Amino acid sequence: MTETSSSAVSARYTGLKGPLFRLAIVNGLLTILTLGIYRFWAKTRVRKFIWSSIDLGGDRPEYTGTGLEKFLGFLVAVVVLAVYLGLIQILLFYFGLYYVVAPKTETEMIMQVAVFYISLFAVLPLILFARYRSRRYLMARTRFLGIRFGMEKPAWGYVWRALAHGALTVVTLGILLPRQTFWLEKYKTDRSWYGDQRFVQGGRWTGLYRAMRHLFIGAALLFVAAPAIAIVMAAQGKTGETAAFAAIPVALIGFNWALFGYLYYRVHSFRYLTAHKSLVGAMAFRAEPRTGRIIGIYLLGVLIIGAIVGVAFAVAFGVAAATIASAGSTGAMPDILGVVVMALFYLGVLTLAGALILVFIVQPVLAHIVGTLTIFNPEALAEVRQRAYDAGADAEGFADALDVGGAI
Amino acid sequence: MTGAAAPSGPVAATYLDGVSAARQAVTIEPSGDLRRLAITLADGSVIHWPFDRLREITGGADAKRLTLALSAAEEDETGRDAARLVVTDPAAVAWFRQKVTTLDTRDLRAGTGRRVALWLGGAAAAVALMLFVILPAMADYMAAHLPVEAETALGATVMKQVEAMVGDGSGRDLVCRNPQGLAALTRLQDRLAAGAGVGQPITLSVFDSEMVNAFAAPGGQVVIFRGLLDEATSADEVAGVLAHEIGHVAARDPTRIALRSAGSAGILALILGDVSGGTTVALAGEYLMRNSYTRDAEAAADGFGLGLLASTGISSAGMADFFEKIAKDTDSMPEMMSSHPLSLARAQAARSHAAGQGPTEPALTDADWQALKAICN
Repeated sequence: MTETSSSAVSARYTGLKGPLFRLAIVNGLLTILTLGIYRFWAKTRVRKFIWSSIDLGGDRPEYTGTGLEKFLGFLVAVVVLAVYLGLIQILLFYFGLYYVVAPKTETEMIMQVAVFYISLFAVLPLILFARYRSRRYLMARTRFLGIRFGMEKPAWGYVWRALAHGALTVVTLGILLPRQTFWLEKYKTDRSWYGDQRFVQGGRWTGLYRAMRHLFIGAALLFVAAPAIAIVMAAQGKTGETAAFAAIPVALIGFNWALFGYLYYRVHSFRYLTAHKSLVGAMAFRAEPRTGRIIGIYLLGVLIIGAIVGVAFAVAFGVAAATIASAGSTGAMPDILGVVVMALFYLGVLTLAGALILVFIVQPVLAHIVGTLTIFNPEALAEVRQRAYDAGADAEGFADALDVGGAI
Repeated sequence: MTGAAAPSGPVAATYLDGVSAARQAVTIEPSGDLRRLAITLADGSVIHWPFDRLREITGGADAKRLTLALSAAEEDETGRDAARLVVTDPAAVAWFRQKVTTLDTRDLRAGTGRRVALWLGGAAAAVALMLFVILPAMADYMAAHLPVEAETALGATVMKQVEAMVGDGSGRDLVCRNPQGLAALTRLQDRLAAGAGVGQPITLSVFDSEMVNAFAAPGGQVVIFRGLLDEATSADEVAGVLAHEIGHVAARDPTRIALRSAGSAGILALILGDVSGGTTVALAGEYLMRNSYTRDAEAAADGFGLGLLASTGISSAGMADFFEKIAKDTDSMPEMMSSHPLSLARAQAARSHAAGQGPTEPALTDADWQALKAICN
């Protein structure tokens, strides 16, 4: 729309495959050449591309983050994490050995494994912290119509809530998942700002149960129907094998249904939460991505990427083998050369695969979601005023160091 | 109209003042002397943007649209004033791109280089302190205080891993068990262990593998690869290598390395990132680091080995012979890359030690030596 008088705006995604692929390949090569340091600038460039590909009624968001600040934020995070993780890991390893000597019983073995896995839980709060900080950074570095988005600081408040909700969901076997999803999203949304206006997350957590239905069906098939069939058949005097034969297909269907159900939940909880967000009182949103469409994009993407990487693999492997063979005949050190060639080959395939995933999966999924987004009463934006600059603390350095965060 | 011709008359554009989210339709026109851009708002008021401060917001996906901002000593991330001017008129976009040469100037804030160097140096120092001082010190302390049973358990795990790495994947048992060979191995083990006095039992075993290698695992496990037995021409040579490995056991080097890499592996993966084969690089780094760590330990193990040979009455000439043999293979590698100090230098040390030795007795009888060589048959 170019006239602000209409009361709804449909978003469009205009990013093309070619330019993004070129960008991703150049990024990948520079990242390899700089031993990984360029990845902060690479991520920034991809975000600038994607942000500016989103058309909201003729205007485009602007991503203002810089590679340099991400790099510096990463350095800060590395110092903190190096000390923390180094100490945690060596201590756990030591006490794992010290207290659980040569596991003889199954319990001791589980104990030993448990001690080693505590390191994961030592990192979990940091991962949640990094996730909140990352979202805050993204908000602080996004502008629309020249006005900054922003997010409030309390990342630790998010961490303990996320831990508590997560534990509750696990204890209730997933039945309280909607509660977790809703309250965590509300925590983040209610602390998000556009200019001087605060976003509000409305709705109720029980409203998300509709999105859970396929998960419930899958779980019912897997944990109720399949065992029931087995028990009934066994009661009728059938052999254990026959009973299992009947129950296994049902369990398999249930498992796949639950997988689909989880994706369905992700998509439909997003729909619900988006539909119940508001800004400046009057502004509302609607996004209606479809689960089937997203699965279709994934499957097609995997097919295309598999085919391209397969061909590239075959060609590169042939070249590498020939290089090693010819070097071997000239008497150069084939072992070291072989390792170098194989390493380059491996990095090359990874770069290619990363670029293809971006182009054939990430961007199409994003384009689909953006394409279904509608913003109501955009004229209310005229009331919004600028907000102050947020230094962004670590510029998602923790997320980068812990490898947390989404595809972009 | 050619691309570079100045658009005649005012051109429509969109102005965002950076204060409110209201978009304003404006017209823009360069001043006659081409030093300022006049932006005429709907209410008739005019804003002037000097051309030398005009910058393009780069990195956008749509090349047809030009977003302009003024460079400013703002305290924010961009170094740009918050106001934006969006130009979509094709002729005007082309004109700006060609005529305004300062569009893609990067305005780095003063002191940026110093700030980066400071952070980089600080982070590197902190990580180095962790990797090379704190973790090794902790590993040393812990290795010395770990109960022997725990060390033995760790040794069993390490042995399993090595077997999986060396084996052909068939899950075949790699340990050689020819009875006569085992008997000979036990005699060699008893003789060396008696002289070692390491405070923990030493267990020797032979792996059926081509590699010319031997290693010590935590818990007093010392493994010889069949390739080493094939390469050696006398039992004294094998005894020399074993004496060296027992030196590692005495110093609890294998345990120390395991502890230390538990702490440092995570840190390295963290720094190098997990994308684009970062982990591979991390492993390579770990490899280099671990070896620079053990090079001191290697020298100590050599010293211990020579002492052990002396106390058990085995000539260190065998050790010298063997080092000379492998010197041909390893000395072509730069010392940084190889885990052992240059073999020729070590051979000389063993040779001169042998010259000072009193009466010696072969490590094994001829019959036992032949049996040991056939242990994998």
